[in-house]
Amino acid sequence: MSVATAPRRERPSASTGWASKLSIQKLPYLLLLPSFALICIIELYPFTTGVSYSLHKGTLLGTGAFVGWENYLHLFASADFYHSLYFSLVFALFNVVFSYLIGLGLALFLNLDFPGRGFCRVALLIPWIVPAIVSIVSWKWLIADRGGLANIILSLFGIGPIYFLSDSHWAMVAVIVIKIWRSFPFMMLSLLAALQVIDRTLYEAGKLDGANSWQLFWHITLPHLKNISIVQAILMIIWSINDFETPYLLTQGGPANATENLILLAYRYTFGRNDVGRGSAVALLTLVILMVLATIMMRQQRRPA
Amino acid sequence: MKARWLPPSGLALLSSAIATLLAILVGSSPAQAKDHVDLQFWDMIWGPPEYIDAGKALVEQFNQQHPDITVTYRSIPWTNWYQTFVTAIGSGTAPDISTGAGYQAVQLYDQGAILPIDDLISQWKSSGKLDDFLPNTVDILKYDNHYVALPWAIDIRVWYYRKDLLAAANMQPPTTWDEFKAAAQTLTNPSADQYGVVACGDTLGSHYLYTVVLNNGGGLFSADRKPDLESSRNLEALQFLADLVQKHCVYPASAGYHDEDEVSAFTQGKGAFTLHAPGLGTRLPKFSDKIGVLQPLVGPHGDQGTIYWVNNIMLYKQGKHPAEAKVFLEWWSEHEKDLWIKGRVTQLPVRKSFTADPYFQNNPETKFILDHYVPLGKTTATHSTQIFPKLNEVEGEGVMQALMQNLLQGKAVDASVKEAASRVNSIMEE
Repeated sequence: MSVATAPRRERPSASTGWASKLSIQKLPYLLLLPSFALICIIELYPFTTGVSYSLHKGTLLGTGAFVGWENYLHLFASADFYHSLYFSLVFALFNVVFSYLIGLGLALFLNLDFPGRGFCRVALLIPWIVPAIVSIVSWKWLIADRGGLANIILSLFGIGPIYFLSDSHWAMVAVIVIKIWRSFPFMMLSLLAALQVIDRTLYEAGKLDGANSWQLFWHITLPHLKNISIVQAILMIIWSINDFETPYLLTQGGPANATENLILLAYRYTFGRNDVGRGSAVALLTLVILMVLATIMMRQQRRPA
Repeated sequence: MKARWLPPSGLALLSSAIATLLAILVGSSPAQAKDHVDLQFWDMIWGPPEYIDAGKALVEQFNQQHPDITVTYRSIPWTNWYQTFVTAIGSGTAPDISTGAGYQAVQLYDQGAILPIDDLISQWKSSGKLDDFLPNTVDILKYDNHYVALPWAIDIRVWYYRKDLLAAANMQPPTTWDEFKAAAQTLTNPSADQYGVVACGDTLGSHYLYTVVLNNGGGLFSADRKPDLESSRNLEALQFLADLVQKHCVYPASAGYHDEDEVSAFTQGKGAFTLHAPGLGTRLPKFSDKIGVLQPLVGPHGDQGTIYWVNNIMLYKQGKHPAEAKVFLEWWSEHEKDLWIKGRVTQLPVRKSFTADPYFQNNPETKFILDHYVPLGKTTATHSTQIFPKLNEVEGEGVMQALMQNLLQGKAVDASVKEAASRVNSIMEE
């Protein structure tokens, strides 16, 4: 007696199943579609809405009439805009340069082996960790008044008192210094991580060739830090120009708008003047400036070290 | 035997229970369901923490007296108040009724959000109820030929002085600008960290400008609402402030100070004179015996005046029950004295019947301000007789704060005023 066997079911091959209907080239795009949709909703829609607002004369209660480029033309003729632009760029430049230099110095120091290194690494992160409202209000107590710690120390050297927040120039210095203080831990942390992956044998080889400390730093350490440094600089420029909390909590953009950056200007137009169109125009111009700066720096990154 | 699922009596019980349940779920008759109204009332924080409790208690009292209306009380902080209201209006979630700052009602009315209360004012005029309001406080809230809000409190600025510092210098409180300047100079002693005046650079700082301008018979606007910041009386008034700064009579940190810093410095004796809202003595009980209120100063041309705001209660067009909202508005206006007595509101009532209460009459500081400063109060709209929407932007945009900060830094009056005037013109033109 023969045993009947069920017909053998063959598995569909890739060339005959549904996957084959989607060629290998189309599948990645389909998989990217949900992310792209999300990006469109949370980024593209607000962006296009902002562009639209900047072309209208709107308030917080309505989009208003279409005015074309009028908001932008007003800004280009406005002394407030140029001052805000100037302060934003100065603020970013000083913050990037000095937070980088301080961060690099501390990273080099923390890369050495010494007792208490772990504690120092954590303690030096405090300016970055402490919430902005706490640190900035504390700084205010230190520098605003004659009885603040800053003026007490200055008086020991026969200087002052300096009322840092009551003078336009000193207020700008104060805002920049406090921003540097809040920013250097980020630079320090990133640079320290980059330092720790540099091959030690390079230093040994350099020493064997008779290089001194400075030459080792210039020819080995710095080139290895180039890419991370550029990324940090781009991020820090963006964070500096977009910084609302530091000038707002410290001086509200004063005295007499001396510390008003582009973001505070956009805020003043939108919520102080109820002029959403002009506020949106400032925000978009800020975006353009940041994109130009970021593009220039990313091109630097592609150059060989 | 087939088991009986439920005895007849049980069936009857079940039926009646279901009927009762249905009656509860469906509610009472349609007519009764329509009668009950829910209102949303947004109240700004007009005093210390006990103010909110007093407000909630007053609302609860209303709810008990009006079983057909339930008002829900919501306390609104002053931070970003304007954004709070416009985003609510923009999203269709505005309250039925709210209190608000001096120009809030006109600004929101201009944007189509406020329900005028002409009918209520007309009724009160006929019944004589309007006579209880202090002069001009009701008409000040008339805009575009409509009453856009009911007044409920006056915020005003007065000059305070340190009695002990003047007594130590053997000085009488000044009554004129010249006497004030001389007193400020005499009481300035930088080595002792003491100055004639301590001011601030925030919103309260801008009130110094309004006060001296109005004190000198000036005003930010002409009668037809044109910006007039550069008038001779205004420049003279601002020069008075600038002279104090140039003679180093103003505490040097003032430009960077906030309201609270100014009060703190005043209590520490860093300034002999300061400008503030009523209630400073009540707010600083440990210093109340050292703090006095100056007589309203007489300007160089014999004028007197100070800045004040008549704060509003307003109804919103988005509210679905305007009739009931007006009932609440009327009741609240007539019963809000508890907000002072229990809630410690720092402003002054607009009703004569309230101000006659011993709570106000037995407080020397409050009585003095009611008798001497309130009659001199003028709005930022001066010389225009009525307020208008742009005032909110003029006050909120930062131009006047920047002007005060410039003067406090010793910058020239002409150049600073020119810059400010340009900004004010720009705001008015938009």
